[in-house]
Amino acid sequence: MNDILVQIKNMCKSFPTGEGDFPALKNISLDVRKGEFTGIVGPSGSGKTTLLNIIGSLDTQTSGEISVLGKAIDKLTAKESAALRSRHFGFIFQTYNLLPVYTVYENVEFPLLLLRMDKEARHKAVIRALEWVGLMDKIKSRPAQLSGGQCQRVAIARAMVKEPLLVLADEPTANLDTENSLHILDTMQRLNSELGTTFIFSTHDQKVINYLKRVIRLVDGKVASDDVVKAG
Amino acid sequence: MERSPQMMLLKLANRNILGNGKRSLINMVILAIVLVGMIWMMAMFHSWTFSAAQQMGEWEHGKGLLEQKDYDPYDSFSWDKSHAPLSRELMNAIAADEAVPILLSPAVIYPQGRMMSVQVRGIPADQKLLKLPTSALRDSSSGYAPALIGTMLAKNLRIKNGDTFTMRLKDASGAYDALDLQVVTVMKSPVPSVDGGAIWVDLERLQSVKTMPNEASIIVLGDPVLGSLADRDWKYLSVETLLADTYKLVETKKAGQFVMFGLFIFLAMLAIFDTQVLSLFMRRKEIGTLVALGMTQRKVIMLFTLEGLLYLVYAIGIGAVMGIPLFLYFALHGWSMPPEYDSFGIAGLSETLRFSYPPNLILSSLLIMLFTTWLASWLPTLRISRLKPTDALRGRGR
Repeated sequence: MNDILVQIKNMCKSFPTGEGDFPALKNISLDVRKGEFTGIVGPSGSGKTTLLNIIGSLDTQTSGEISVLGKAIDKLTAKESAALRSRHFGFIFQTYNLLPVYTVYENVEFPLLLLRMDKEARHKAVIRALEWVGLMDKIKSRPAQLSGGQCQRVAIARAMVKEPLLVLADEPTANLDTENSLHILDTMQRLNSELGTTFIFSTHDQKVINYLKRVIRLVDGKVASDDVVKAG
Repeated sequence: MERSPQMMLLKLANRNILGNGKRSLINMVILAIVLVGMIWMMAMFHSWTFSAAQQMGEWEHGKGLLEQKDYDPYDSFSWDKSHAPLSRELMNAIAADEAVPILLSPAVIYPQGRMMSVQVRGIPADQKLLKLPTSALRDSSSGYAPALIGTMLAKNLRIKNGDTFTMRLKDASGAYDALDLQVVTVMKSPVPSVDGGAIWVDLERLQSVKTMPNEASIIVLGDPVLGSLADRDWKYLSVETLLADTYKLVETKKAGQFVMFGLFIFLAMLAIFDTQVLSLFMRRKEIGTLVALGMTQRKVIMLFTLEGLLYLVYAIGIGAVMGIPLFLYFALHGWSMPPEYDSFGIAGLSETLRFSYPPNLILSSLLIMLFTTWLASWLPTLRISRLKPTDALRGRGR
């Protein structure tokens, strides 16, 4: 099927420790298709973030195969890997990871500068992204002047501004209260349905899980279950 | 304006260092002080060398010298033997004020009952090539031979204008003769070798006492072209040769000063290095984010190196504010050395030293600072290439 974005076969990942290798992911096999709103859920230390990092080409597997957008992650050079992230991936982090010295506008504009997009197209895209997340009134604010929820909305705008094929969100609601969490999730769900962007979450937050269309449960680095909970 | 990725890096780097507040300001001020100090020091040595060369030319060796082939300025025993007759060509050059003959002889003087060895130098009273006030040597109405001495010698001998003393010297046949001298002028010369241990008298009088008519030991030239008059009696010494010892002396002093400034540069670079190391440690999460957003680690290294280099850019601005008034002051008012420097035997320091700042001097100072700042900024960033993005995103890794 040509709508498969992520294809993983028998993938393992282990980390060296003082007492030998620690297996973080064991024999993972799964596919993620275009437009999915999927969550990798499980307790702390189950390997969620490790899996998300490998999908996002920030890390590589120890064995097995993984291809994202048809590209084998472990075969990419650093430059190719950076280009893949820059063009096709959006990242949302638990701690927002905004550039503190940039304004909201500049933070959202940043990924487009890496893509060398021209000024006019850049401006249109940034305004559109900020409208999606409802932060047009905070355009000149710095991250330090925003609440946690607003920061995460800026992070979503930054991830979405280039309309990536895949958004990887690592515990996006972990630092937010319920109201902000639901607001964020509503926004992402809307973007998923309106733009068809694929979202993969790493979470153990029940509020997030309630929004997911597919839940991949990891326990001790293994896929314990993989369920479609809502029709796409 | 279209913003290129390079401009974006520059803007981000600029924002980052300005966001560092006082820590950045301290780095910039330290760099600015070192930069201003370095330019000041290099300008001082440049001006000293220039001043020494100019003053030695004006007071001692003109545009070159013809030396009698046996003359050795460091061997007083050679002075009695080192003299030669002046050729017709040389006489013509002297008559045209393009050359000045000087006859040298060892002598002993007896001021106030004391005895001291000196070098007596006979020079035409009407010469115009050197700045020596030789016109005073014409006046001999008192019955004494007029003599010029420098302030340093006058101080050592405790004699003053108008004092008289006897001088004993050998003539061409080796017989001793004497001359009663009267000091007509105590001159202040910026060139110590014109002053120390030298007594200047009229050439004709010295030639007469020495029974060496129409002879000289050295000939000061007003034009290096006259160096071609060198023959088997005379050897030509160019200005470069004559200044070689002075240049060596300046270089030696310069090396000493550079060790000190090297230390200052090292301390300034240590501040940058330390800031960079701390910055890399504190901003690991940011590094991870930049990589996640699609920056290559090479670009992140470039960003951090740029931040270090921007300290220098700001330091140049601060240095201009601090340095330009200082540089102007030393260019306009100069730097007067303490009087003790007169006895140091170094040309170019006994008069007020006015500084000049050639562009190549400023450029070389900037290049030295640019290279060292780049090195101190770049070296710590090499850690970035060893940092795993996943660790960086979690604020881990070293």
